Amino acid sequence: MRRLAFLFFLFPVLLFAQQEWTPPKSDRLVNDYSEILTLEQRDVLEKKLLDFSDTTSNQIVVVITPTLYGDEIVAVGQCIGQSWGVGQSEFDNGLVIIIKSKTTEEPDGQVAILTGYGLEAAFPDIFCRRIINDYMIPPLSEGDYYRAIVSALDIILPVAVGEYSYAQYQKDETKNLLVGLLVAFGLLGLFLFVLIRYAKKHPNQFRNNTFGGGGPWIGGGGYGGGSWGGGSNSFGGFGGGSFGGGGASGRF
Amino acid sequence: MKKSMIAIFAIVAVVMLLALWGVSVNNRMVTQDEAVSKAWSQVENVYQRRNDLIPQLVNTVKGAANFESNTFTAVVEARSRATAVNIDANNLSEQNVAAFQKAQDEITSALGHALTVTVERYPDLAATQAFRDLQTQLEGTENRISVERMNFNNAVQSYNTMIRRFPNSVIAAIAGFEKKGYFTSISGAETPVEVSFD
Repeated sequence: MRRLAFLFFLFPVLLFAQQEWTPPKSDRLVNDYSEILTLEQRDVLEKKLLDFSDTTSNQIVVVITPTLYGDEIVAVGQCIGQSWGVGQSEFDNGLVIIIKSKTTEEPDGQVAILTGYGLEAAFPDIFCRRIINDYMIPPLSEGDYYRAIVSALDIILPVAVGEYSYAQYQKDETKNLLVGLLVAFGLLGLFLFVLIRYAKKHPNQFRNNTFGGGGPWIGGGGYGGGSWGGGSNSFGGFGGGSFGGGGASGRF
Repeated sequence: MKKSMIAIFAIVAVVMLLALWGVSVNNRMVTQDEAVSKAWSQVENVYQRRNDLIPQLVNTVKGAANFESNTFTAVVEARSRATAVNIDANNLSEQNVAAFQKAQDEITSALGHALTVTVERYPDLAATQAFRDLQTQLEGTENRISVERMNFNNAVQSYNTMIRRFPNSVIAAIAGFEKKGYFTSISGAETPVEVSFD
């Protein structure tokens, strides 16, 4: 049986088809569909991950689900990361911890950690496997899901801190904004320049007001300031990070 | 005189509009073509990652006591055949992608078989940390391969749809954009090799 399990392990995501079951996009970082965590535990974790997301821009999502609807846990975790957009799109610094809880109908417990593209270097697959084997599976097999998550996060958060900082994120945003403004001003300048030259050449047209009412309008800039509000207790939303299948999984 | 002028103007205007439209369609095709090339390079990356892991794996198992060296022969052979299949990112025709996939799928199949044999016959070796680490890396690599193949297929799908739809197809024919190939999942190698456990 172990051997058989190994075989399935080697090809965990046969046809990473589009059909994997994915829970609908959530607005929380901690999603306990199995209702195993107490409300206090859930709030403690949520706050911890929210603070982490606010200070470092790294986004970590925890999902506990009673079923995978027959799909592979790695594939489901990958789909959650990708379709929810965990992590910032500039860094792809998202991470998904997914636990398939033991239930009477489906008594197999599974756990996986999926890393966004940007965190693959900090969290190689072997490292994820070690976190799972050494820190998550022992408490999970005792049924202590909370402790499994907390001890995994105790390892993950300090490592992830070194990867991307909030300052770096902000710098990036500011740079984008500056470039955007520069381009906008450049275009405006060019437009005025052409307009003035045209006006000098054809002064009559302007006198006759052939340009029709409105006058030149400048389109509203498309710079949505990003939903990355520094709100202390409301989650600003997922940042659109991408996942490439990195990570590891285990059973308990 | 005036009428003919107007006619000429109209024709010139229509031609110019058509040219503008053609240029914009062409540019969008170039963008999509680039997206496919980018996805392809990701596909190559992840397969290369696996190619790099195979020598490590072979070295790890070679050191083990009474290990039959031919267990991984098929893998090494498939790997060298696959590295010979080099596909130009500018020519991702159906035949080329299929040839690439065939070569890589042979590795998948040979690797799956060799690993199963190893675990069956050499449980001590399979229990070592080095072997398990490689196993973890290979699993992760297979996952990445699935993801990048899917991404590539998605990129090709939107590219193919774009160039084959009328009237874009006219511009595609003029500018020389050709249909690109997909990864398919029917061939045997994508499913694990059948191994009997009796």
